[in-house]
Amino acid sequence: MWKYILKRLLLLIFTLFLVVTATFFLMQIMPGTPFTNPKLTPEAIAQLKSTYGLDLPLWQQYLNYLIGAAHGDFGISFQYQNQPVSMLIGQRLPISAQLGAQALVVGVIAGLFMGAASARNKNNKIDGTLGIISTLGISIPSFILGIILVYLFGFKWPLFPVSGWGDSFSQTILPTLALAMSPAAITTRFVRSEMIESLSSDYVQLAKAKGLSAKEVVNQHAYRNSMIPVLTLIGPMAAGLLTGSTLIEQIFSIPGIGQQFVLSIPSKDFPVIMGTTIVYSAMLMVMILITDILTAIIDPRVRLQ
Amino acid sequence: MSNPILKVENLHVNFNTYAGTVQAIRDVSFDLNKGETLAIVGESGSGKSVTTKTLMGLNAKNALIPDNSRLIFKDRNLLDLKEEEWQSVRGNEIAMIFQDPMTSLDPTMRIGMQIAEPLMKHRKMKKVAALARALELMKGVGIPNAEEHINDYPHQWSGGMRQRAVIAIALAVDPEILIADEPTTALDVTIQAQILKLMKELQKDTGSSIIFITHDLGVVAGMANRVAVMYAGKIVEYGTVDEIFFNPQHPYTWGLLNSMPTTDTKVGSLVAIPGTPPDLLDPPTGDAFASRNEYALAIDLKEEPPFFRVSDTHYAATWLLDERAPKVTPPVQIQRRWERWREIQGQEAQS
Repeated sequence: MWKYILKRLLLLIFTLFLVVTATFFLMQIMPGTPFTNPKLTPEAIAQLKSTYGLDLPLWQQYLNYLIGAAHGDFGISFQYQNQPVSMLIGQRLPISAQLGAQALVVGVIAGLFMGAASARNKNNKIDGTLGIISTLGISIPSFILGIILVYLFGFKWPLFPVSGWGDSFSQTILPTLALAMSPAAITTRFVRSEMIESLSSDYVQLAKAKGLSAKEVVNQHAYRNSMIPVLTLIGPMAAGLLTGSTLIEQIFSIPGIGQQFVLSIPSKDFPVIMGTTIVYSAMLMVMILITDILTAIIDPRVRLQ
Repeated sequence: MSNPILKVENLHVNFNTYAGTVQAIRDVSFDLNKGETLAIVGESGSGKSVTTKTLMGLNAKNALIPDNSRLIFKDRNLLDLKEEEWQSVRGNEIAMIFQDPMTSLDPTMRIGMQIAEPLMKHRKMKKVAALARALELMKGVGIPNAEEHINDYPHQWSGGMRQRAVIAIALAVDPEILIADEPTTALDVTIQAQILKLMKELQKDTGSSIIFITHDLGVVAGMANRVAVMYAGKIVEYGTVDEIFFNPQHPYTWGLLNSMPTTDTKVGSLVAIPGTPPDLLDPPTGDAFASRNEYALAIDLKEEPPFFRVSDTHYAATWLLDERAPKVTPPVQIQRRWERWREIQGQEAQS
């Protein structure tokens, strides 16, 4: 087990190296330059380029970046002068991660309950209602829901603050709900279909034949088995949520990393683009690793090696 | 022998589907005596499995059972039970062995725990005590080195071993009735014999009654005391195992017996009953088997045959037994069986 995890972590570092390389050279293809301010004289631009090391040959820039990144130095932002990228990410990522984690917990728990309720009441009113809710949840974009929530609970019935971060927990409620809806809906659909399959399986028939109640059958047999495929869904979902949502952060004025990532692209802030890409890739791979470990814990047929 | 523990009376089971009402069980009645093994034999779709599911109260939600159907067990009609009451019957008084051991165990639960579950449910045993009893049960069904394997998961076991575990689950709480739904169909032939032997030994120890569902008459011979032959949702003939094997009266039973390969069967000459079973969405009038029956009489197409008595224990629903029916000559193999029957009868008369 530990050997396997170590192997996966080494693989993760190698994959990150590939991601860094690909992103680095793709950015060179991007048209335009970071220094577009018309007030800048050619001398000043040359000065800036030499400060950031952009006057060096490409291979040397690449090598410098790799060496820096290996030491945890992801360069200095072009937009915010003198702000190291690691500091920028260090400030903004925890905010996005907290919001994402809250949304993940709310979304997945809601999805598990609604999916199981839907499956157990297959084809009746409860299933139908939950089906409509989850279809809406998947098809309504989160920013529309965000705006609706702001209108309802910030304006019509002002229950929660509609913007900002870090002053009170109540600030996090509306963005969490807005962000949680889509994962809740997706999880509901997935759990429903897995649970229906599990409930029609032979081992559930046998569990019923033992005299277990419907509730015991679900809790002791069906849930565990239908969780195995659901986990593979939640892993990548978690990576996406924890690394921030541009639109939700924009609507609720949350200084997270999602917002930062998007802003850094038009301004050609190469170090920030690189840094956030690395963070997202690493997060995704760690989540997939965690998913695999959890799957092996739940499903005795899976052995990690 | 006539001490029925279970009486099935006029059982009808219909299923409402989009295509219409499927009449899966059409008036089935039989008794199950204490300590005996009753085999229910028939081809796919004859209603064997629906019968077992009905006995376990595990039919799908679209099943409709008319009020005059009765399953009398311990002075009550099981069909009147509420779901909670069923839960104290299932796996406790009536238990079931499933067909496919590869899929009927929960892949994510340790086998010992799966055997312990009914004990914890019905005997209110604590986990430790239930697992200790599970270990005994595992030894009882012939799991070697049971101590080492109690914490195994199903995928670590072979099919035959898993079926032993399924049997241990069914026997955990000493059920009075054990329903075995084709318990050996999914197993290798060599393993089949072991499992059948095990079931017979366990029945001797526990004295439970077994309803043995199968399509394999070869398995029936060594297992059952009595046999009921089902066709298109009805019982067409029932009797003791000797009566069914050596004095069969219904042409469908003849067909089943003849389709059984024996050591004399020539290579490449497997016998089959021609045609397919009728559509139970719209069962034919008269004898449902008539269209596949080379001995069918004109009346078979019009009127359903009642049960004709062959002996006190042997009845068959075929117009051939009516005194007005022409005498037909059954297939050669059946004639040989009848000869053997006369020999057995003669020997019994002498002794």
